[in-house]
Amino acid sequence: MLRTNFLGLELKNPVIVAAGPWNRDGVRLRESIAAGAGAVVTESIVSDTMLDVGPRIACDDKGAQNIRLYSDIQIEGWEREMKIAKSDGGIVIASISAHSPSELAYLASKLEKFGADAIELSVSNPMLESLEVVASHADVIYEMTKAVSEAIHIPLIVKLSQNTTNISKVAKAVREAGGSGVSAINTVRGILDVDLEEARPTLSTYGGISGDYIRPMALSSVATIAQTVDIPISGIGGISSARHALEFLMLGASTVQIGTAVMMQGKHVVSQIVKDMDAWVVSHGISRIDEIRGRALENLKSFDEMRYEPFVSTVTGVPCKENCSRCVETCMYGAITKAGNTVHVDRTSCTGCGLCTSICPEKKLSLEL
Amino acid sequence: MNIKQIAKTAGVSVATVSRVMNHPETVAPATKEKIEKVMQEAGYTPNWFAQGLNFNTTKTIGLVIPHMLNPSYMEIANGVEEVARMRGYITFMCNVQKDVQTEREYISQLINRRVDGIILMFSSMEREYMKRIQKEKIPLVFIGEHKSMPKISSVQVDCRAGAAEMIAHLIEVGHRSIGFLQGHDPEQECLQQLTGYRNLLKANGIRADEQLIVKTENSIEGGYIGVKRLMAAGRPDAVYATSDEIAYGAMDALKDSGLSIPQDIAVVGFGDDRMSNLIEPKLTTVELPLRKMGIYGARILFDMISGEAKEERQIILRTRMRIRKSCGHKERIGEMF
Ligand SMILES: Cc1cc2nc3c(=O)[nH]c(=O)nc-3n(C[C@H](O)[C@H](O)[C@H](O)COP(=O)(O)O)c2cc1C
Repeated sequence: MLRTNFLGLELKNPVIVAAGPWNRDGVRLRESIAAGAGAVVTESIVSDTMLDVGPRIACDDKGAQNIRLYSDIQIEGWEREMKIAKSDGGIVIASISAHSPSELAYLASKLEKFGADAIELSVSNPMLESLEVVASHADVIYEMTKAVSEAIHIPLIVKLSQNTTNISKVAKAVREAGGSGVSAINTVRGILDVDLEEARPTLSTYGGISGDYIRPMALSSVATIAQTVDIPISGIGGISSARHALEFLMLGASTVQIGTAVMMQGKHVVSQIVKDMDAWVVSHGISRIDEIRGRALENLKSFDEMRYEPFVSTVTGVPCKENCSRCVETCMYGAITKAGNTVHVDRTSCTGCGLCTSICPEKKLSLEL
Repeated sequence: MNIKQIAKTAGVSVATVSRVMNHPETVAPATKEKIEKVMQEAGYTPNWFAQGLNFNTTKTIGLVIPHMLNPSYMEIANGVEEVARMRGYITFMCNVQKDVQTEREYISQLINRRVDGIILMFSSMEREYMKRIQKEKIPLVFIGEHKSMPKISSVQVDCRAGAAEMIAHLIEVGHRSIGFLQGHDPEQECLQQLTGYRNLLKANGIRADEQLIVKTENSIEGGYIGVKRLMAAGRPDAVYATSDEIAYGAMDALKDSGLSIPQDIAVVGFGDDRMSNLIEPKLTTVELPLRKMGIYGARILFDMISGEAKEERQIILRTRMRIRKSCGHKERIGEMF
């Protein structure tokens, strides 16, 4: 039921393990495949390996920051690693990163020869290059995508960044240059935290933020592309459960990719997500996962299309025994009062902002027309 | 011991031993190590010359270098050598001391010694001679542009774009009058840089003042003398040097004449030489992907040797700006943060 066709590749499920050091060589790629992933993406392979800086990864319970992580295996060695990765028959997508179109074309054609099933262009890392992410320039992306698409016969995915003012333009450039699909998003430029005693950021330079922190941005990037450009999308960013994965699919993604969750919890999260997705699909009587693709987009309107309707709470007396008055304290319109076991909403003061409905731990308040 | 006995002792197939010798990059590191240990203990060395007769390969390539004392060339050679070693090849390095006759001699020597392929670094060999070598059917790759043979397999750097990017940056931080110190060198990078300079000035509606373009020797001394001539001809707010060495000399001369960099005048270089990050003020410059030039030169050569490359191939690399203090912007726009 989870089977899907992505860019001509038959995936047993739409869950892909994203590019990163957890997929740094053949053995680890095979592990990710064995965990049940529909496909796996290699750590980004570059023209020349670089010295790693350290420390380069930091995390907390909501996500992670990393700086400059690329494959430390030269392209020559990937012939061997690809063979190992593919020895159990999984689908392996090779991620590549470089500064010029001809380098990218070279790396892509080599990896195709070594057996990669598709190429992912990772030109969206917020580190190292400069303040301006390559993927924020549609013309540069066009040039790079074109050079690679002309050099290979396998599908080409271009990984996009949230660090751009108009992601649709970039996605459109990918399509026009012959790219088969896009993935979104890469990490978002950021600083995880600062050690107050030492007056020092945990990592010594700006890095890419991933995990829960970026999921809302990733969801919006995916939805924006889905609503504006006709191109298959792989959704990435902060996915650690089946629910998250399904959200991406409902906003128009064809597949999803998982990075930080695999890094922080281990590869078994992949099997769990696949299992839970399967259960959800069965319980909802869905025969093919593709049926849910983009379903939530109909309910995602542009600002202009939104109706100015006077939503207010219809409920005037909410029975509430909880020892909590968060709704009362947070109502910015002074519309909520509590007397004993009853929460009272004043219909004339309530403007229907909706905050109380999500702030109530028991979800007792609701809005109606 | 012969190859069969090596295989038996190491507990692997003859094919695997052969792969260690011919395509070591395709063998798992642990296996490779084990086999190499057995070979070493047995004192086994493959007879490459005999192999050259048998299989038409000597597992050697030639690398022709303009001048060995130039660290940039060595950086490139380092990239070539690394890829060659990964492929189980030995590299013959030939130092031609910028002499065309020596270069010719070396090339024919390499061919006589049956190398599998040749890489020529910034060669100025004439077209007729090159055509003759090509007749020998020996795989040949250029590092650096070869003016009269643009279609030949090569690795090049887009220096025009690199220069244009730097000039754009200087204009963006407020410099309008930019002097250009142009060094003579065999790499022809300078000419491309000059084109980049002219294009960018034009795009910004700035008239290129020919007096502000000064030719000089590509050295520290050249920079020193060149900038004096430049300052006598006009008084630019910024100096663009086509190499870091020229920039060092220019900085020295400017300091000698009592100017502070970058307060009074900005200076930028080209190359990202090791010293550029050490002198004060640290030099803003353009990084050349030297090692990568060597790596890709060797990669396309081996693709030709293995017969994988069906046609001549050009790889174009890009430079990167290294914005430091000497260009005098306070706001650090576009810096490598
Ligand atoms: C430690 C680390 C290393 C990464 N390395 C790469 C990489 O080599 N290439 C790439 O395209 N993305 C890389 N990423 C980005 C992830 O593939 C992914 O796009 C991003 O982390 C968002 O997804 P997530 O929240 O599921 O991790 C890396 C992320 C992390 C955390």
